[in-house]
Amino acid sequence: MSSEPLLSVRGVHRRFRTGPTVVHALNGVSFDVAAGSMVALVGRSGSGKTTLLNVIGGLDRPDAGTVHVDGTDVTALDEDGLSRLRREKVSYVFQSFGLIPVLSAAENVAAPLRMARVAPTERERRVELLLELIGLADHARQRPAELSGGQQQRVAIARALAASPQLLLADEPTGQLDAETGLSVMALLRGIVESEGVTVLVSTHDAVMMALADRVIRIHDGHLDEQAAGQPYVPVPDAG
Amino acid sequence: MNRWLTRRWPTPHWPSVRGRGRTDVGPLLLTAAVIAAVALLAGAVPPLLRAAADKAIQDTVRDAGTDSNVLAHADWERDDGPTGGRVRMPNLAEDVDAFLARTTSALGPDLDAALLPPVTVVNGPILKITDGSAPRTFQFTFLASDLGGPDVTWIAGSPPGPAVSDQYVEVPYDGPPWPVQIGLSEADAAALDLRPGDRIPVKDGQGPDKDVRVSGIYRPADSADPAWRLAPALLRPVPGADGVGTTRFNGLLSRESLPDARLAVDEDQLRRTVHFAPVPDALTSDSTTALASQVVKLKATSGSSSDRDQSLKWESQLDTVLRDARTRNNAAAAQAAVLLAGVLTATVLVLLLAADLLVRRRTPVLSIARQRGAALPDLGAELTIESTVVSVSAAAVGLAVARAAAPGVSWTWAVPVVLAGAVAGPAFGTLAAARASRDRRQPANPAARRWIRATGQLRRAAVEAAVLIAAVAAFVTLHQRGLVPAASDGDTGELTGDLILPVSALSLGALVGALVLLRLLPLGARFALRQALRSRRPLAVFSAAQAATTAGRALPLLVLVSTTALASFALILGATVTRGLTDGAWSTVGADARLDVGADAEAATPALAERIAAAPGVEQVVVAQVTDSARVFTESTLLTPRLVIVDTAAFRRLLATTPLPDAPALARLTAPGPGPGEVPALVRSSDGDLRTGKRLQLPRDGAPAIRLAAVGTAPSVGGANDVVIVDAAALTDAGLPAVPNTVWVTGPGAGRAVSNTGVASDVVLRADVLRAQRVAPLTAGLVRLAWTAAAVLLALGLLGLTLAAAAGASERWQTLTRLRTLGLRPRDARWVAAGELLPPVVVTAVCGPLLGALLARLTLGPLDLRLLTGQAADPAAVLPWWLLGLVSVTLLATAATVVPVESALRRRDRLSEVLRAGE
Repeated sequence: MSSEPLLSVRGVHRRFRTGPTVVHALNGVSFDVAAGSMVALVGRSGSGKTTLLNVIGGLDRPDAGTVHVDGTDVTALDEDGLSRLRREKVSYVFQSFGLIPVLSAAENVAAPLRMARVAPTERERRVELLLELIGLADHARQRPAELSGGQQQRVAIARALAASPQLLLADEPTGQLDAETGLSVMALLRGIVESEGVTVLVSTHDAVMMALADRVIRIHDGHLDEQAAGQPYVPVPDAG
Repeated sequence: MNRWLTRRWPTPHWPSVRGRGRTDVGPLLLTAAVIAAVALLAGAVPPLLRAAADKAIQDTVRDAGTDSNVLAHADWERDDGPTGGRVRMPNLAEDVDAFLARTTSALGPDLDAALLPPVTVVNGPILKITDGSAPRTFQFTFLASDLGGPDVTWIAGSPPGPAVSDQYVEVPYDGPPWPVQIGLSEADAAALDLRPGDRIPVKDGQGPDKDVRVSGIYRPADSADPAWRLAPALLRPVPGADGVGTTRFNGLLSRESLPDARLAVDEDQLRRTVHFAPVPDALTSDSTTALASQVVKLKATSGSSSDRDQSLKWESQLDTVLRDARTRNNAAAAQAAVLLAGVLTATVLVLLLAADLLVRRRTPVLSIARQRGAALPDLGAELTIESTVVSVSAAAVGLAVARAAAPGVSWTWAVPVVLAGAVAGPAFGTLAAARASRDRRQPANPAARRWIRATGQLRRAAVEAAVLIAAVAAFVTLHQRGLVPAASDGDTGELTGDLILPVSALSLGALVGALVLLRLLPLGARFALRQALRSRRPLAVFSAAQAATTAGRALPLLVLVSTTALASFALILGATVTRGLTDGAWSTVGADARLDVGADAEAATPALAERIAAAPGVEQVVVAQVTDSARVFTESTLLTPRLVIVDTAAFRRLLATTPLPDAPALARLTAPGPGPGEVPALVRSSDGDLRTGKRLQLPRDGAPAIRLAAVGTAPSVGGANDVVIVDAAALTDAGLPAVPNTVWVTGPGAGRAVSNTGVASDVVLRADVLRAQRVAPLTAGLVRLAWTAAAVLLALGLLGLTLAAAAGASERWQTLTRLRTLGLRPRDARWVAAGELLPPVVVTAVCGPLLGALLARLTLGPLDLRLLTGQAADPAAVLPWWLLGLVSVTLLATAATVVPVESALRRRDRLSEVLRAGE
């Protein structure tokens, strides 16, 4: 684990206005995440987890504060800069998978590589590698509708890793999965941190999931309540 | 206790109903506007059509003139006297009055109300005026009505009086001619050079002279009195009434001289007839069936003309005139029904799409409500209340406006639209709410996933098969029994049960076409995706993937293709009728102008034609002898076709240089006949009596008949169904020189050239005929409806395109946002969005008009357009390519506008908000 933080969040504020009501989703949030670690972001619904992930990934802009990813000030980037950031450094995994239904698993994984105009041979090699990594090499030609929810989320994770990002943001990636499948997905993420050296910031409600993280950050009403030490990593068998 | 008895009624949560209504006021107002607009159209068209049908009936009867009169006649009581002679009947005028009363009472109340007060005409035989060389004829006439007959002023002499003052006179059969007094009009008296007291030198054929004396000279009080139309020669001499070159004079009998008129001629030569003229303004489309039936009944109960008794003998063509007019009305009603059914189908589809959009917007709210415990029946009831209020009130507004704008309102056609508006939203919404409370997880078991897919495919195949079967049944019904007979007993423009299937053929055909494209589009999109995956351009892949993902969405494509095809059909129908009217005018006139030369001026026709040919702006002049109802014999039958004797070469040039159908067979007329002494002829007949290979005979006065050989098919001349055309030179060689009486003129100056010829003739201008046909109520109404339907359908198509874009926008931009999270640039997102939106629009722009053209080809035949265009045969479909192209361009332009507008609107949304909405 590197001592230099890959992600540095400083004094981030984010307010939402709903009619006359102002909601402080993030209220002066600051923290660092070291490269190659897996951090669980936990909190109740509406506590600001997703908002924080969105601000970090440049999907939303903070009202105040800065976010640096690998030294790049995300809050200062224009749209093209953000697009480049997402192509090269930051990727996402969503609760609802977000796969393209008419493309096969392999083609979905290859999507970011196409975006980055990676040569076909290199693209195929990388896709093969990633499908092997997530244990779906035999399902490369299947479409999302032909895969189970857990398999779809694995494909989404492989897609997120395709362009070799430094930071992977996962917003409740197990929200639509049963407990066993969810645990296997989290285990996969844990394994990726180990094998790919990717930094993972994952939001979750599940206490079991937290056990897999190096570190747990609790968020409550836009504040970071505490920074807990990570729990030891316990490998879990693949549930498919 | 039975669970049905314990089940509670749905209890709507009113604040939710109000809240949803306020939130989605835009889509609800849009739905209401569509329903109101289509209810206005559907509510106004039937009464407008009925009014047009009434006017068409009235115009037809008015144009038919005396042909539509109802006539009754009966023989007189015999006047044999006790001593073997004939008895003078001094009360003969009263007998005529009684006869008139008897016929009137036999009419029946319905027919009586539709007819003018009757006029009795008593006519003597046609007598020859023996004085002078010109062939002149004379007839004495007695006119009587309820009010006593038309008023006259006696300007010289006195009214005709009785020949004798005795009450009882018996005249021997072989006695001298019985004297009869008549009055003459000023014009007749001047032409005959007669004064009161003079005797008119007349005799009956080869018989003895008649003793007809002029008692006085009169001037009609009102020469426009309808009674004079029944005997126009009572006002002035009428040329040609009794043959070419003759002039008819009439003498007016009085009530006093009528008994003498009977004795002056043979017993059966004085004929009495009661004329009932219809009141066109009293006729309506609805009343025609009853009136025609009554006329037919009168004719059926009519005594035989050979019976020498006083039974009433009825004659009339009113039933035929009314039946023809009603057939045209039914054709127009059927054509309008087909267009309306198309508009309604498109509207229902658009309403389904609007409901889909509304439910997509509401799915999160409905899901939350369901998760909080709201029962599905309660949610369904809430949505039903809202949609029913919106649909019914919008339809009421539309129908109220229709009521104000049209002479009545019909709600029948609005029912499907109101039902669709009321049911679609609640059905979709309840399904969405039910889905929200189901486990949304994808089954882990592959077999379960396959089962779900197979079930969905089976459901879809069943729906498609049902539509296909209905369409096939509709087309079979349409072609086997047509639309017009089915409409004959229905109320004009109203939808009756037996009419629904054939009327729906067009709409079902459009739906089947759309379903076929719906099957093909995903295949095409997947093919495009496979090609794109081989390329190195990421945008091509993502655009093709978006297109392939959404290609299976049924409603948008169904709406787009159906509306475009139906709009194209309406445009084709309008263009076909418009062109048909033009062709019909050409067919009716035969040129830009036609001169029908009067019988007494026929000799001047060649010189007249030369003068017209020399006039500026005249391109062609063709003269012909045209004889309607000419007597032509086959081996065993007398036929009465239109005989056209014409210079064949000139006639061919005329046909070749005008839109009139060419007739290459005309060349055969100048070749020698197939047999010795035979003159070649072209023939045409509606019933096949005249056909190629037939031998005909054209009789001549005092000479052997000319033998004709039918060597080919004649073109229609002046719209006549039965035609015989012979070359003028060939007929002259055979011994019958032509006497031209018709001049066809073409060229921009034709109208001016024939306007002042100085020759007694009727001028018929093609422009006038076309103008009259265009403003004819049914034709004008149908063409207006076709253009209106096309505009409404196109508007519905564009609305459907916008709704489809709006309905898919949320999903599309979530996908695009996810692609943005993979690094897609904002400006590239627009191209990917276009990749999704454009394929169905491009397919529609190309295939929609083609489908419309195909449907026109399949359905125009049974629509009997010829009944409105006045053509001999149903017109071929006219494809207005520039209008169809305009439809396609409008669709493409709208789609091209939707993409950047939607892109600009969505750019304001933060990516995080879009993603959050999709979770």
